[in-house]
Amino acid sequence: MSETARHPFLHGLSKHRGAPPTVVVIFGASGDLTARKLLPAVYNLGHDGLLPADFFLVGYGRKAMPDDEFRALAAAAIREYSRREPAAAVWQQVAAPMSYLAGAYDEAGAFQRLAAHLDGLERRLGRSLQRLFYISTPPSVFAPIILNLGASGLAGRHAGTPLHSKVIVEKPFGRDLESARALNATLRSVLAEPQVYRIDHYLGKETVQDLLVQRFANAIFEPLWNRNFIESVQITVAEDVGVGARGGYYEQSGCLRDMIQNHTMQLLALTAMEPPGSLEAEAIRDEKVKVLHAIQPLTIGPGGDVTRAQYGGGMVGGQPVPGYREEAGIAPESATETFAALRLLINNWRWQGVPFYLRSGKRMARRVSEIAINFRRPPGTLFAGETARFDLAANTLSFQIQPDEGLSLILNTKVPGLETRTQPVKMSFRYATTFGSNTAEAYERLVLDAMVGDGTLFIRGDEAEASWRLYTPVLEYWRNVGRAGMETYAAGSWGPPGAEALLARHHHGWRQP
Amino acid sequence: MPEVFDALPGHEVPVAGIRRGLAGLWAEAGQRGEPTLEADDAKATQVNFVLHLGLGATPTDAQEQFATVVKFSRRHPGRVVVLCPLHADVPTLEMRAKVYGECFLGRTKSDKRCVEFVMLSYSRSARPFLENQVSICLSTDLPLYYWAHRFSASGRLADYTYLLGRAKRVLLDSAIAPADALDYPWPNPRATRDLVYSRLLPIRQSIGQFLAAYRPAVLAEGLGAVTVAHAPALAAEARVLLAWLRRRLTACGAAMDAVQAATEAIAEGQGAESGAGLEATLAYSAPGRSFRWRGELANGRAIFQADFGTGRTELTGVARLLEPEIALSEAMFF
Repeated sequence: MSETARHPFLHGLSKHRGAPPTVVVIFGASGDLTARKLLPAVYNLGHDGLLPADFFLVGYGRKAMPDDEFRALAAAAIREYSRREPAAAVWQQVAAPMSYLAGAYDEAGAFQRLAAHLDGLERRLGRSLQRLFYISTPPSVFAPIILNLGASGLAGRHAGTPLHSKVIVEKPFGRDLESARALNATLRSVLAEPQVYRIDHYLGKETVQDLLVQRFANAIFEPLWNRNFIESVQITVAEDVGVGARGGYYEQSGCLRDMIQNHTMQLLALTAMEPPGSLEAEAIRDEKVKVLHAIQPLTIGPGGDVTRAQYGGGMVGGQPVPGYREEAGIAPESATETFAALRLLINNWRWQGVPFYLRSGKRMARRVSEIAINFRRPPGTLFAGETARFDLAANTLSFQIQPDEGLSLILNTKVPGLETRTQPVKMSFRYATTFGSNTAEAYERLVLDAMVGDGTLFIRGDEAEASWRLYTPVLEYWRNVGRAGMETYAAGSWGPPGAEALLARHHHGWRQP
Repeated sequence: MPEVFDALPGHEVPVAGIRRGLAGLWAEAGQRGEPTLEADDAKATQVNFVLHLGLGATPTDAQEQFATVVKFSRRHPGRVVVLCPLHADVPTLEMRAKVYGECFLGRTKSDKRCVEFVMLSYSRSARPFLENQVSICLSTDLPLYYWAHRFSASGRLADYTYLLGRAKRVLLDSAIAPADALDYPWPNPRATRDLVYSRLLPIRQSIGQFLAAYRPAVLAEGLGAVTVAHAPALAAEARVLLAWLRRRLTACGAAMDAVQAATEAIAEGQGAESGAGLEATLAYSAPGRSFRWRGELANGRAIFQADFGTGRTELTGVARLLEPEIALSEAMFF
């Protein structure tokens, strides 16, 4: 919603404090994501006074339960997962307008009942309500939900007004290019692109948003942000947990689909894109798509740009842990990768010849997500002393996305003393130490953004397709070769030897963030 | 040797909770009214330092080295990881951790430096996983310094190639290291430093400045023997000092292959010489040419006696070895 389209009484107020009357409908209301993220997000929005005065939440799922049971589930989830202790007054505000409807996702009649329920809320309220549908279900039911939203008329409610229905879709946005196109086609058959909010929670993280501010609000970085000054870029999204109870899902997904294709590519796009013409959603998303299209096709196969591996047994947090193929629900001969690392080259004026190294994995040494910009070493031999004591470090700017959100810059400095000796030092900025640690979670920001109609931090359909276009040949190759080329890495390590070799071939090495 | 781990300060935390433990450390300090980390700029994460206590370390020795690192950290605060291996007869896949922190207050409010220690005890079977655990205790991007103290056999170092290869400096003390330590095929030989050499800095400086008053050719001409005598406890210092003298004299043009070079122990209570901890002598074939430096480390005094054909010179100077924490600094940064 642009500033000019907003109500005159909201003029000059934060758009995030002007969410219109809204009913949020969560499909998959009894699911894990709803409990861990969505309900705590709604609660905390309420705590911060960011929910509209006229706010309703409707849970929708296959399992039948009365409204009170859904409220009890929500209360338990908020107690367990909210970043704040629940406060009675806030809970009352959030819980009172909660209701639950049971129905199948492919049952047209159930969606008619849902439409009637929402119309009833609107009638009781005596004014129009924006409908925000959150699809938090397995991807197999994305299509029936979307088609039923269309058939029931829910998708088209209040068309042409700021209250036009909106749909948030959770990843995965397809399994490959073909299925991503099919999903987009289904969405477009019912909804206009501005109604669709493909969510990648990484984009809701403060450091990710700060990346744009650092790049474009500081004069010192952007002039250096190119192939003349940057040696390489490393993006790491590492988890220390294994597949746990999600073995069944993960076997069908794997690291490339689960993490690389979405989270790391979004981080890459924000790092590498050209300055947008404005901070409008479409201006930013246009630039992201452009840079994704400029990535060269990957060289696949032995000695190529991609490596994959599965974790074997190892030690995490001082405790022995099993390997991937010993986990529950995993086939003994599984060919699903739990780690992937790759080298991307962007064929444009800014990045020609600068490798972007991406890696992600489960059961790695620690949970960390970061973007590291490695600058070229300074020229000349001014500090090449007689005993090579001037071992200058490369300047590195790293954005730590989780945990401990912040950024740091490595500089070389003189060690105090009579002689000139150098040592790298770290300048750090941490959100928690500067602004306090109880900052909003990514889902809070994103749910609110969708409510106010701001798609900047969501993925557009052509972005998803551009990313799948890059990775679908890799997935097809892996499917054809089975386990051939699959390496093993010790649980609790930084990955397999092949990942090290991938960088060593280009005279680089992975960081250990 | 769990007794070594147990003898070190700090409070035990689960290995998976080291970061939380460190954070909690400062929170508890605040509750006690002690200095806390209000901002990261006081936190000393400008170097990573691994003190690897070998199987030869005793609890008392470990506490001594720990105290040395604490003193070192007052000037060069950093993230310190102390590794304490268990003997081979501990069969369990076991790792334990302790955390410890100190803040040093200077004369101004801004002169506050804090240092964090992580102690890790590990069984032999857990060793393959140790380096990953260490990697997540270190501060990213900052240089790693590794001190191998009292390791029992050089061959054991092959288990720690990650640390040896990544370290900007690998420190050892050849006075207590296994005999083959200096010949060990270090992954990065240029990074290896002998603490004995560092300890000798004031002596090298003193002798070097004295001899630099003469032209190199004068020092090399007619040189027949180089001898470093030493008190029994200073055999390593004598060996290193002799090697240094050989290198410098070679650079002056002396044909050292034809020069006798040796160390010799000074017997206990050997008359007037007993006060000399170290004594370096250059013997020349030309009559009347000589150089003798005698360092009395017990009282910090040195005596130069030299004649290079321009008349006899006798001077006094300072003879001392660097304090352990200063020797660490010298070896790491210089």
